[in-house]
Amino acid sequence: MLSSSGAVQGVIIGAVLAFITAQILGRTKVKKINGWFTMYGFGVPGNGMLLRAACYQIFPGPVNVPQEAMYWTTSVAGAGNYVMHFPPGGLPPNDAFWSLTMSDAKNDFVANPINRYIVSDRSGLAQNPDGSTDIYLQNTAPAGHESNWLPAPTGKFILWLRVYMPGAAILDGSYQVPPIVKVQ
Amino acid sequence: MMSKMKNEETKSEAVQTRGGRKTHHLRTFALTMIIAWGLGTFAFIYFYPHLMYNAFEKGIVQHGLGGGPIPVNTLYAVPNLASPSASSNLLKTGTNQDTLYIGGWLDLSKGPQVLHVPDMAGRYYSVQFTDPSDGTDFAYVGKRTTGTQAGNYLITGPGWKGTVLQGMKQISSPNNSVLVLGRVFVESDSDLPTAYGLAKQIQLTPLSGSIQ
Repeated sequence: MLSSSGAVQGVIIGAVLAFITAQILGRTKVKKINGWFTMYGFGVPGNGMLLRAACYQIFPGPVNVPQEAMYWTTSVAGAGNYVMHFPPGGLPPNDAFWSLTMSDAKNDFVANPINRYIVSDRSGLAQNPDGSTDIYLQNTAPAGHESNWLPAPTGKFILWLRVYMPGAAILDGSYQVPPIVKVQ
Repeated sequence: MMSKMKNEETKSEAVQTRGGRKTHHLRTFALTMIIAWGLGTFAFIYFYPHLMYNAFEKGIVQHGLGGGPIPVNTLYAVPNLASPSASSNLLKTGTNQDTLYIGGWLDLSKGPQVLHVPDMAGRYYSVQFTDPSDGTDFAYVGKRTTGTQAGNYLITGPGWKGTVLQGMKQISSPNNSVLVLGRVFVESDSDLPTAYGLAKQIQLTPLSGSIQ
């Protein structure tokens, strides 16, 4: 009796540890730059068992290979106004399109009065006088910068950046996605 | 006197046995835990993509993408972009808002399928073929890989022997079971009807049906 319950407990604890270990090993394959998580080698044949598992832990969907599309994600603790600042010429290089998607903590779209769930190369983003571009991530419209507003929930949010047919600077890792900065 | 000693002996035996059982119990626990930890770590890593794709297959074949179940070897084009009011749960969470999605599941065990794509006139689109056993995207049709002109693509399962008809390009699948996921770019709200019209023309037919 005692030994069989020992075995059962062993299996249960072992399985929990295994799950945690798999998660930790998976994380070693994730790149984190400027607060954004990404991964190279997604969906590429021959990319290795660990990378494949890691991919699906971070991006649980049938995502593209890097040459087709690259993905970045980050989560922001919440309450407050945030800005993403792209330097002049610093919008994501691509041969198709890019987009930045706002999600709530459950990864669902955030309902908002202007029905805007993404900003992208089609959003008519206004440039600053120096050629840089700011994207305003906040719950209420930023006065004077409505065109560059991506409505956020009041609490925690998750962002997804997608670049389809990414440029060489993305594929070779030299392009860096700007950080999300809290506005004082 | 004798009986008292005997009594005490029995007692200490009992204590020893209990202690032995405890040690044994701990040893069994530690051993099974280490084995389960090791095997489990491997199993989680190895089977994780596979488990996920099992869920996708069920999602597509049994529930569909908002338009009811999608029969095997057919494609369904979702008429709208993802939004908070999307009818399919799959299109509310973690999806893009830039492209229409097309979904379907292939079973190539009874013969190849032919993918037909219309002239996309320079529009970004892709059709991704994913092996559900490991989640690798083994082939693409689309702007990046094949261009945007109209075309027919013969998708064959492992070990298929036959002649590829003229005018068709062959895509060899490592698995008879294949996830097909299409994406068709939508420029703006006013572009949606055109994009959907094209997405609907991305279709599958069995090989025999396309010999003319």
